[in-house]
Amino acid sequence: MRVRILQLVTVVAGLAVWEVAARSGWVDPLFVPAPSAVAPALRRIGGDALAGLADTLGKTALAYVLSVVLGVSAGIAVGSVRLLRDVLSPYVVALYGIPKILVLPWIVLLLGYGTTPAVFYGTLHGFFPIMVLVMGAVRDVDQTLVTVARSLGATTWQLYWKVLRGMGHVLGSFANGFQAPELFAATALVSAASIAIVLALDHLNDKLSRWRG
Amino acid sequence: MTLPVVGLRLALLALCLALWEVAGRTMNPLLGVPPSAVVPALRDLLLLRSYPDLLSSLALTVREIATAYALAVAAGLGCGFMLGMHRLVGRAWGPMLGALYAVPAVVWYPSLMLFFGLDAASKIAFGFLLGFFPIALAVLAGIRQVNPQLVVVARAYGAGTVTVFRRVMLPAMLFTLVGGLRTGLALCVIGVIVGEILGSRAGMGALINHAYGLLRTGDYVALVLVTLTLVVGSDVLASLLEHRARRWTE
Repeated sequence: MRVRILQLVTVVAGLAVWEVAARSGWVDPLFVPAPSAVAPALRRIGGDALAGLADTLGKTALAYVLSVVLGVSAGIAVGSVRLLRDVLSPYVVALYGIPKILVLPWIVLLLGYGTTPAVFYGTLHGFFPIMVLVMGAVRDVDQTLVTVARSLGATTWQLYWKVLRGMGHVLGSFANGFQAPELFAATALVSAASIAIVLALDHLNDKLSRWRG
Repeated sequence: MTLPVVGLRLALLALCLALWEVAGRTMNPLLGVPPSAVVPALRDLLLLRSYPDLLSSLALTVREIATAYALAVAAGLGCGFMLGMHRLVGRAWGPMLGALYAVPAVVWYPSLMLFFGLDAASKIAFGFLLGFFPIALAVLAGIRQVNPQLVVVARAYGAGTVTVFRRVMLPAMLFTLVGGLRTGLALCVIGVIVGEILGSRAGMGALINHAYGLLRTGDYVALVLVTLTLVVGSDVLASLLEHRARRWTE
């Protein structure tokens, strides 16, 4: 209870400081709009932003399903065959570690803009952590369930923040046009959606852990 | 590791390169970039022929990473210990920190560009933002791993705060802490590079964007390889430190 109160107080205090800072001119409202300016902006961009959010969530879901299906099957295949595991694991780990942003320009060159490169890029991000964890899990069968559940929880946000192109497009245009309140509103929307997804997965993780006993 | 495994690994690598070469030649060479086109591009790059400002760009990126990481370590340790030492604050703010960590950090980047401009400051801020959370959360998780009974016993035997921290808490939490510091470094590096690619006037990301924008895809791949060396190098360094820390605990 005290924890909840303190959390609430923190959020309210943070918003208040932000509002005062913007109104009293400590920070330029052109760059840091007050929360009271963000709320109406959220209403103004509401339709576009929600459409963008739906687009992003659709791509995220697609990329996530793809990376789970591909990652789990590749992980099981490679993890269960000793020779494959020995030969492939250094490559898999290396590919897992590479910052994927470095190949983004190439993906855009090959696939252009739109749904395909976004889903491909998202899948690329989700695939390797899932595959690496499933490979490990198949090897040490004892821990399978926990590891897989955790792998799903741990990878989601990574997967998600790379598939931002749909929303990122909206964000980029606001930043370019110096529409700071609209930018903040869109940022808040994406943040809220991400937090909701992660909380839902945490909940699912809890339930699955309990179900396993 | 047996000899056939190594042989198979090399054979696989050779096969992939050969396939890439064939595919790259049949495709539009601008998009495909077969390995045979990468080698001369890499040579030109390393001899400073294609990009004479390679070294200063590399130095700038390294400087940005170092600054971002130093800030992330300082803030992450400070914040983590503050939350870890104070029970109520930790239980209230810990989950909030976790929720903020879940926000895809890229959504902040346009705002950071507005605040900090196109130059190094916005990249440092973004690297900091990515590196801070895993470090702070690792400190928090590490402190929770410390067996409170051991602390009580050590206190009862007259150990001071510093001794308790050094002899009881640090060994118990070091594993998690060092893991967090390593993740933080990796994310700092990625943050700075992502920031540079999304918009900058100098640094490796700017060179990559330049090569890609002019469809100099051979140069682009060569620049990516050089950047990868930086990424891998920083992680190797971190893993060496992790091993040392591990030995210290044992």
